[in-house]
Formats: sequence, structure tokens, C-alpha cells
Amino acid sequence: MTEQAQGAAALSAVIADAASEIALALSGEGDPYALSRALRQEDALAPAAVRVLGADALAPYALDGHPGADGAGSADAAMVREALTAFPPSGDTAAVSVWSYHGLVEASRALLPGHTTDWPAPPEPGDDWLASDPWPRLSHRASQLAALALPGLALDLTDRLTDRTEDLARGFVRAVRRRDWLQSAGLGRWLARLPRTPASLGLDNGLRFVRQMSDDPRVALHVTAAQRFFGRGR
Amino acid sequence: MTTTRQAAPAPHREPGEEPGAGGNELLDVLVDESLQWTERHLDSFRLPPEATTTADPNLTLKPLGELAELTGMIASCHPLPALRARAERLFAYTWQETREGDLLAELVRGEPQAGYPVELYGVFARAGLRNAAAEKLIRTTTALRGWQVAQDDHTRTLSMLNAEARIGLRPHAEFGAVLAHTGLGRLSEPWFLDCRTAYGLTHDVFHVTDWGRERTRLAPSAAEYLRLWLPAWVAGWLEEESWDLVGELLAVAACVPGAPFDPVAWRRLADARTPDGALTERGAPPVPGTGTAEVFRACYHSTLVLAFAATLARTTPAPAPTPAPTPDSEATG
Repeated sequence: MTEQAQGAAALSAVIADAASEIALALSGEGDPYALSRALRQEDALAPAAVRVLGADALAPYALDGHPGADGAGSADAAMVREALTAFPPSGDTAAVSVWSYHGLVEASRALLPGHTTDWPAPPEPGDDWLASDPWPRLSHRASQLAALALPGLALDLTDRLTDRTEDLARGFVRAVRRRDWLQSAGLGRWLARLPRTPASLGLDNGLRFVRQMSDDPRVALHVTAAQRFFGRGR
Repeated sequence: MTTTRQAAPAPHREPGEEPGAGGNELLDVLVDESLQWTERHLDSFRLPPEATTTADPNLTLKPLGELAELTGMIASCHPLPALRARAERLFAYTWQETREGDLLAELVRGEPQAGYPVELYGVFARAGLRNAAAEKLIRTTTALRGWQVAQDDHTRTLSMLNAEARIGLRPHAEFGAVLAHTGLGRLSEPWFLDCRTAYGLTHDVFHVTDWGRERTRLAPSAAEYLRLWLPAWVAGWLEEESWDLVGELLAVAACVPGAPFDPVAWRRLADARTPDGALTERGAPPVPGTGTAEVFRACYHSTLVLAFAATLARTTPAPAPTPAPTPDSEATG
């Protein structure tokens, strides 16, 4: 294995572990959640993992009745800030990456309210693709942004995706048939949030099916989020 | 024997649903070249002397029956007289091969429980071609209580009910009740379809609509289900190069009011053909030098389906007054 591949595998493992912790917290199990406990602060891969997880790094704080970040709040805020500083979007960054960066800043402001100062001002993400992408590409991109499907977050994006509900539902059908469980789960999470998902899709069964066909903790995280936040697939 | 052909229906589309002049041109070329290929391979449809005894019906009567069903439909429905005439000649050939129905009577005597002779007779009866001996025999077998239990697959039962209706027999079961048990009737989860159940679904639509002749028989809920999910299925099976199934799905799409014309999918099917116009069921076309029998087995069905689907797409129904399809829902990315 090349050094680069080893690095990628190690990062995937760190992300998978953190995703398991987050899914556990969302399902109401495990210890009280703190990002700084799900990821070791001293782990050199932690900033990259936070950047990849995006808003989901803070998802358990969005649960109804969650007390929010306890004493870990400042440590969590420091970790997020480090990730945002280490991996800023640049001029040629893909639109999805800018959206994900944007979502992490938005989630930090909303969910770590005691630490409101000095969040970076995110660039405005490009949104042409939301109207112009053919449905397979739109579905691929939307699934990569599934962490933004959190209550109260990314409302504009949600509105724009609502206009493409049928297309995202077709993307879900295609992704399940291709056994692309991560894309399926990400799209299923959005469809759980959108108000006009077609009944004949069978979304609740679809989420349960995808969850059980895959052993990827990131899939479990998306399905658990769909269940806890939007009441689908339980 | 009498022949009663109805006048071909005029193309019926709303503005915006047209495949456009280029689209129609492509559709007509596909029908024409598919039928020409079929004409050149008519010998391969010829029934062997042992057709009613020891031959495997899947290799003899199934191809002939499909040729009859699909050319019969094209002959009565295509808007262009030249293509109707070409299809009519092929259809007439199939009737001759059954010795104007005498062979069907022999098939029923050999295998009175079997459904396929009744289905095949139904194809001819639909076109006004009758054989008194075969029909008398079929009236007797299909009236048996045992006939009602011989058909166990719901989609196939729809086929039998359609054949009974074409012949003018009393239906052995209630069409709607049987339909309710099929993939189309149940509106199966669209992401759970596999190749086998997808073929079941396309045939549910063909039997409900009498192979596209009566497209208004599709219930609004079924039409809406198909409008929603066909683009996802077409895209998925195009990626797998399952040309035969894509052809059937495009035929189904042409039965649905408001289903958008998918120029990308049609072009992919056109490009998947051999230079002489044959479409293989799946994957790459047969390499040059492949034996005639092998090419025939690999291509005859998809090539006929392509002609059938292109005929239906030439005459799609007007969109239903339900939500308009999104502008890019036909793209396959």
C-alpha cells in the first residue's frame, strides 16, 4: 500500500469510529456526547475527520432536550475551528466542499452558541448546480451534503432541494439498485426531511433496508439522523 | 378466415412532449431497420416439423409468438403506411407458419394444460384471424375448473386473461383482482426491482394496455408510479447495458401520459445495434463471424422489442393534467 493509500485508510478509520459514536449518541445510547471525546484532539487526523464529517460532528447537540455542549464546549469549538482553519475552501474547491464548510460554520454558530466569536466567514457557495444538474449528478452531490440535513440548518439549501424532490427520489432508487449504500443513506436522509417525498418510494422501508444491508457506520449515522430528526425509517 | 384491421391511430401528443422531428426520424429508422433485419432472418423463425411434438417451445413457438404479437401491433398501430405494410407481411408469415391455426389445435391436443397455444391464438384472434377447430378446443379447455388453477403466476395470468378477451372467451378470473397481486398492482418499492421483477412489471403494463393499444386503461396511480420511477430504472439498466429490458421500459414509458421522451436512452439503444440493425439482449453486439443461429438467439427478441417500443413512442398519449415532469428528468447524466 502506498503512503497516500495508508493515510487515506487511516483517515477513513478515524471517520468511521467518530460516525459510530455520533450515531450512538443520536440513538440515545452511549456516554453523553462531546466531539472532543468522539475524536482524540491530539490525533493528527482529527481536523481532517471533522472537516469530512462536517455539520454531523455536532449533530447530537441538535437533539431536542439535549443540554448542548457541556464543559466540552470550548474544546469542541477549538477542534472545529482548527478543522476550518486547516481546510478552508479555495477558489477551485468543488461546490460541495464549499457547502460542507458553510454548513459546519452554520452548525457551530447554532449548536455551540457559547462560543460565538471568531468563526470564519464562509464564502457563498455556488448554487447553479441545484437547478441545472441532471438528476444523477444532483443526487450524488446532495448525498455528499447529507450532514446538512439537520433541524433548522441549511434552510435555503433545503428549499432548493425540495424543488428537486422527485429527482432525489430517483437518485435513491438508482443508488440502492447499485448497492451504493452511502449515497442511498445520504439521499434517504434528505428525503426524510423534504415535505413532498413520493409515498410510492417506500422511504421508511428503504431506510431500514439500507441500514441493514450495509455495515458502514456513516450509513448508520445518516439513517439514525433520518429517524431521530425527521421521524422516518423507524 | 377474415382479417379486420383498424385504421392506424394518428400520433397524439401535446406540444413539448414531442420527440421532435429528429426524434421521430430516429424512431422510424429503428422500426424500419429492425423489421428489415427480422425479414432477413425469417428462416430462423420457421417452425421445425417436430414443433408440435418433441421440439422445445422456448426455441420454436416462443420466438414465433413474439414475432406475431409485436408485428401484429406495429401493423395495426404505426402511423406510416410503409412500415405497417412491412410489419403486416411478417405478421402474415406467422399465421402461415401456424398453418392458419391448424397447428394451434395440434398444440392444444398435445398439451391441453399449457397456456402458450391460447396466448398465441389470442394474438391472431385479436387481428380477426380465426380457426374453428382450435377455437372449439380452446373453448373447452379454458372453461375447465382445472384451467383456473393451472395458471399460477399473476403476470402470466393477466396474459391469459388478455388472450381470453381477444378470443371472446369468458374470463377465467377477474382481471382487476389478479392485477392487484402483481408488481404493478402492488406498486412495488421502486428500489427493490431486479431484472426478473422488472420484466414482470413491463408485462403487467403490456397486458393491461393490450400491448399499448389501450393505454387509457392504466390506472392514474399506476401511471403516476411509472412516470416517477421509469427514469431511474432506464438509467440503471442502461448502465448495465441491458438493452432488451431498456427497450421494454421505453415501451412502457410510451404508454404513460406525460412520461418524457428520453432521447439519450433511444440514442444509446440505436448505437448498441450491429451495423445491420440487430440489437443484442445485453452488452456488446455479437462479433463479426458469429454463427447465424447464435446471432438470432442473442438478438431476435431485443430487435423486435425495439421496433415495438419505437412504434409506441411514435404515438404517445397526451400528458395527464398532473404535476409536470421536471425539465431535466429525462437526462441520464
